[in-house]
Amino acid sequence: MKTAQVIYENGDHRWLAIVRDPDRPGYLIDTNEYLVSVGEDAILLDPGGSEIFPSVFSALCAEYDPRRISKIFASHQDPDIISSLSMWMEFNPDIKCHISWLWAGFVPHFGGTGDTFIPIPDPGTDIPVGRERLRAIPAHYLHSSGNFNLYDPKAKILFSGDIGAALLPPGDNGLFVENFDRHIVHAEAFHRRWMGSERAKRDWCARVADLDIDMLCPQHGAIYRGAEVRRFIDWFAQLDVGAVKS
Amino acid sequence: MTQAAGTGGELRRIVRINEEIKSVVATAFKINLMAMNAIFLAKRAGQAALGFSVLSNELRRFATDLQQQMEVLRQMTHGSVASVTALVKTERLNRVVDRMRSELSGQARAMIERYLRNRQTTSFVLHQEAIATQNRRLSQTIADTAQLVELGSVLARSAKIEAAYGGSFSAALMQVSSDFEHTIAEIHRSLEQLSRHHD
Ligand SMILES: [Fe+2]
Ligand SMILES: [Fe+2]
Repeated sequence: MKTAQVIYENGDHRWLAIVRDPDRPGYLIDTNEYLVSVGEDAILLDPGGSEIFPSVFSALCAEYDPRRISKIFASHQDPDIISSLSMWMEFNPDIKCHISWLWAGFVPHFGGTGDTFIPIPDPGTDIPVGRERLRAIPAHYLHSSGNFNLYDPKAKILFSGDIGAALLPPGDNGLFVENFDRHIVHAEAFHRRWMGSERAKRDWCARVADLDIDMLCPQHGAIYRGAEVRRFIDWFAQLDVGAVKS
Repeated sequence: MTQAAGTGGELRRIVRINEEIKSVVATAFKINLMAMNAIFLAKRAGQAALGFSVLSNELRRFATDLQQQMEVLRQMTHGSVASVTALVKTERLNRVVDRMRSELSGQARAMIERYLRNRQTTSFVLHQEAIATQNRRLSQTIADTAQLVELGSVLARSAKIEAAYGGSFSAALMQVSSDFEHTIAEIHRSLEQLSRHHD
């Protein structure tokens, strides 16, 4: 079973991280899902694969009433991101899915109808959640060619999708990065191989360096907070990506 | 599971049950705190409140048992979500296979028929049976919980009677025991909601 943990709370504005599933079979990559709720409205970020739907749904139910979820944000088209869409649509067919326009015709193979998808244009857009507005920040080619992060300016949290992801060894279950040097070892090979473009990477680093970020939340592995956020961006900026090492 | 409600309805029902569980857990927590205060109050009242003191301890144990019972229910709903998910997946696969069967002929059709005989109906029925079994167990657990809450009501009523013998503390003890009564009545209502959602 996964657990849902509050990582930010200010009045009725909350971020939940749904993390760590000790029962997950080893052949499935471990993922983090996030829920941003503002009052009676909520958006679910990268709801995960269909195999882990029961675990995500149950963990969420313990902390939040999922009937209030009106939107899903999918950073990109991968199965570990959005293949549970059909189950969410089964639960509530009115949920809207925000995803890059590039994938709006592909992801319906996982579920949803013509009314489900709200394509995000390349430069990004604002997504309202209750009275707050979250910002879809372009992160194309990192790794997907139509890829977005989601920034919450009030909470100062950036959901970064696969950027910042680490494939941690079993037992390494901390919610936050505690020792950057030890942590980043588990992120390096992933970023070198999955991140496709040096230029896109430089653009992204410049873009997010301008944002005020307290927490950087990836879809795999631990969350970077405080000084570790800047450290990660600097580390990524100098990393050689977009080539297969022979 | 009723056919009309469908699997989406089944998931929404599980959510309603979970919301009710959360409210009972919160109330049980409140009873636990109230019982602790009652134990202190009885201590101050001394000799006159010995019976009240025993009942307060019992009420505290009741609150803990109730919390545990809710955890059991919560675990059960997790199992239900997993079964519903499996059922949805099987349904999807069945739809694809049905389409293939209607579109194919000859050898290919025969292969599909053979596959269907071996797999489709069995796994679908198995998932449905699993859901039915889980629902029966859930009903039983809700019924057990109702009995536990009945015990809580009896304890609260007895505390009220004991309060009358509390001497100068009588009024204070009376107040505490009627607070217990009201709070346990809240749980009663939640449980009624629970069994209504469940049917
Ligand atoms: Fe990905
Ligand atoms: Fe991923």
